[in-house]
Amino acid sequence: MSRLSGILWSLVFLAVPVLGVATFAIAPAIDVWLPQDVSEHGKAIDGLFYFILALTGVVFVATEVALFWFLWKYDAAKATGPATYIHGSHTLEVVWTIIPAATLLFLAIYQMNTWADVKMRRPAMAPSVEVVARQFEWRLRYPGRDGTLGTPDDLFLVNDLHVPVDEDFLVQLKSMDVLHSFFLPNLRIKQDAVPGMKIPVWFKATETGQFDIVCAELCGWGHYKMKGRVTVESREDFDRWLESQYARQEATQPEPDPSTAVARTE
Amino acid sequence: MPTCSRSNSSTTVLVAFVVLFPVAAGCRPERVVTPGADAETAGALRATLVSASSGGGVTAAAAATGTGWATLKGRFVFAGTPGAPKPLVADKDTEVCSKGGMKLLDRSLLVDPSSKGLANVVVFARKTSRVKEASPPSTPLLFDQKQCEFLAPVFAARVGQPIDVKNSDPIGHNTNIAGSDFNQLIPAGGDTIYVPKAETGMPTMVTCNVHPWMKAYMVFRKDGYVAVSAADGSFTIPDLPAGEPLEFQVWHERSTGPNGAVGIDKPDLKWTPKGRFQVTLQPDEVKDIGTLDVPASAIGT
Amino acid sequence: MHRRTSLAFAGLIVCLASVTGCGKTPPAFFRPNMVEATKQRLTPDQEKQVATILLAMFGTPDEPTCLPETGLDEAKLRLAAGPVRSDIVGRKNGLYREHCAHCHGITGDALGPTAAFLNPYPRDYRPGVFKFKSTERADKPTHADLVRVLHNGIPGTSMPSFALLPAAQVEALAEYVKYLSIRGETELALMRAYFELDDEAQGKLPETREFLVDETLVAVADKWKAAAEAEIQVPPMPADIDLVASIAKGKELFYGDKANCVKCHGVTGLGDGQANDYDDWNKVIVEIGKELASGAASARGSSTAGMSPDELSEHRAQLAWLEKFGKVLDGDALEPRTIPPRNLRHGIYRGGRRPIDLYYRIHAGINGAPMPAAKGTVPPEDIWHIVNYVRSLPYELDGELGADKPMLARDRF
Repeated sequence: MSRLSGILWSLVFLAVPVLGVATFAIAPAIDVWLPQDVSEHGKAIDGLFYFILALTGVVFVATEVALFWFLWKYDAAKATGPATYIHGSHTLEVVWTIIPAATLLFLAIYQMNTWADVKMRRPAMAPSVEVVARQFEWRLRYPGRDGTLGTPDDLFLVNDLHVPVDEDFLVQLKSMDVLHSFFLPNLRIKQDAVPGMKIPVWFKATETGQFDIVCAELCGWGHYKMKGRVTVESREDFDRWLESQYARQEATQPEPDPSTAVARTE
Repeated sequence: MPTCSRSNSSTTVLVAFVVLFPVAAGCRPERVVTPGADAETAGALRATLVSASSGGGVTAAAAATGTGWATLKGRFVFAGTPGAPKPLVADKDTEVCSKGGMKLLDRSLLVDPSSKGLANVVVFARKTSRVKEASPPSTPLLFDQKQCEFLAPVFAARVGQPIDVKNSDPIGHNTNIAGSDFNQLIPAGGDTIYVPKAETGMPTMVTCNVHPWMKAYMVFRKDGYVAVSAADGSFTIPDLPAGEPLEFQVWHERSTGPNGAVGIDKPDLKWTPKGRFQVTLQPDEVKDIGTLDVPASAIGT
Repeated sequence: MHRRTSLAFAGLIVCLASVTGCGKTPPAFFRPNMVEATKQRLTPDQEKQVATILLAMFGTPDEPTCLPETGLDEAKLRLAAGPVRSDIVGRKNGLYREHCAHCHGITGDALGPTAAFLNPYPRDYRPGVFKFKSTERADKPTHADLVRVLHNGIPGTSMPSFALLPAAQVEALAEYVKYLSIRGETELALMRAYFELDDEAQGKLPETREFLVDETLVAVADKWKAAAEAEIQVPPMPADIDLVASIAKGKELFYGDKANCVKCHGVTGLGDGQANDYDDWNKVIVEIGKELASGAASARGSSTAGMSPDELSEHRAQLAWLEKFGKVLDGDALEPRTIPPRNLRHGIYRGGRRPIDLYYRIHAGINGAPMPAAKGTVPPEDIWHIVNYVRSLPYELDGELGADKPMLARDRF
């Protein structure tokens, strides 16, 4: 082995942390970073994400640099003396076991509050909407004026979820056939829909606008087609929209122009 | 040994083929292949079709070549031995449909035991130049159903002639004429009028979806030159235009011919496998084409 | 030894390439209606003539064309047809193949690769029969009806909603469905026309504009054009209607002899009445199956001993035809399925849940399905009562069903 090949391999391994860090540095600029966060709990989730990213990032860079340094320093072409064999270091093993264990334990405790907010502290309210996933669309049912699902004034829609801004919103998630995964990237919500289960999902949207609903279930050929839309709007707009949709559902005469029925986006 | 190695490798290829081909071809049943379109002819044809000139429009009716009116008669006889009619599975509304233990029977092949006459054969003129009665009769024909059976298994009417679709049962039925705009609820003891708007071509099926064993056939003709053979197999079509070659179409529900056409061996009437025969009638003639033997092979079991 | 292995390896590569193909994908083609062609006993020459005429009239799945008589918009068709791709201005093309073809098939014959796994089967457009529409039973749906189905999907079936597609794309898809339907109906008309030919024609359809366009195509296309004017006029539901009384009246009608809903939808409304009937698409296959069975029994049962040479060749042709038909059914038809009447307690309405949707269904019946029309025998105000009763069924307080609170059957899964 020549000295040149030793240098080459060291540099190849050095490129891993350099390119790794560069990818993350460029990502937000080319819009492959986290989507805009419009949820109340999203800040905590993003905070956790950044914290863990920084932590693992530092460890990753340090490990990779150490690897590079060892490759460089102990190049076979350069080393002349015989290798030294050691049995091991008890202290070192204790240190590198306790530090990661403590870190993981810290993370487990540190995220608990956020987890509880997102998955356990369900707001004390009746479901704001029922979302039923099926192959391949999201069927929605709003409880209507009486606020109770399963009554004659329920409002039935598909793929077009509307949500009032700055209010707790509770989704009752079901599946009609197979596993689906209800994913609202901008609301930092991702929850599997499981046949036979009613799963509560809640969030509070903080900004108005239109965002995607996607199915994050991987297996099967049709889930990627389950594109829906969530519209966050003011309470007045939301109420007006509910009323207009309900009036359309109760129509006893044909609509003047059905092509205006649903607003669409490209 | 080069020969040996070559033969071995070709065996490998063969095995690979056998293994891979079903994988690539899948397990779907092989579909019947058909000749594709002829692109050149299609190009030329397209030029004809897009040309704005629509010379002549719809084909003019055949020119009248005679005067006067005549009658056609005949009698269908079944040359085989009909099996005993099968009972139908009538499992709904049994208190009406199987009243008093009565069993509904399959009526698709009705042969008169004594005369061997074949009933419910449809005969109609394919094209006529003249019609004696210009407009269809306005008196409604009765199409009734009783004890979960259409009373007429085969029913003929003229286009435009009202049909009184009646239900004489104490339970509700619906009458569904395939390929038409009519599938109507007929309340118990009620009726409704249906006026056929178009010709059927060959007879079309009539069903009741509430009682799926109920089945009949209807045939509508614009000129009304259509007859259904009676229990003894005889039929009569009166008032046919004389002096022109007439072609008739013959149909039976159980025929094995194309679209139910009944093909029989009758060279003197130029009887074809499509179930058509030709006659030319003289004015005021009552032409009896005699006994028409329908062989057992023409009727499906 | 080494050489032998490498030879075998090369052979394997060649074989793989020949099986998987390394050239371009062959162009998509319209599959002829083999069931009808075989039913009409068309010869290969006649099948070829039909294919040629259809190519001249309608083009190919990649390059659809239409004659002005169809009333179709060719620009919309091009947007929907062909392989999935973006055109020069970045507009999405090939919408039909992206969204529809895997179930409804390239030809619109409901024989796409996923079709066999769905229940109910996807719609076969070729007979030109559509269920959920605002027109009388035998009339075609309006353009708005097709768009509505694309918007809402068909709950209770595998048809999803396409409401979030841009309006232009939904329009293009609706137009393409019409195109496939007109093409399919024209094909049926052409195949059936052979039987009606006189003997002088020698089994060849006249390739004239009069016959092909004026008599055949226009007859099909005009029904589509007429649909726009054929919407059912619905008398408004009385504004001061007493809902409770109306529901009670509707219930009486539901169980009564006049409307007779109970016969199929069942005494419980669970759709458990008359349930062993077929819809028109499946019935065709069922009837052919019976015809084949009866024909086969009769052909095999007849003895060839006393036959003349003519009869013998006819007999053999019949046997060959029966065998071919069996094969055609295997490859070009799906196993027939019965059509159960709708379970009215699910609260799932395939053709839409608006009162007017239910009114249309009851008034005109459902084309292609056993559901008969109530018009004529049930007056409009009574139809409204039935609508109100049917809409109350999913929520009915019904001790008979063992529920003690408002029950929506869907909540039980």
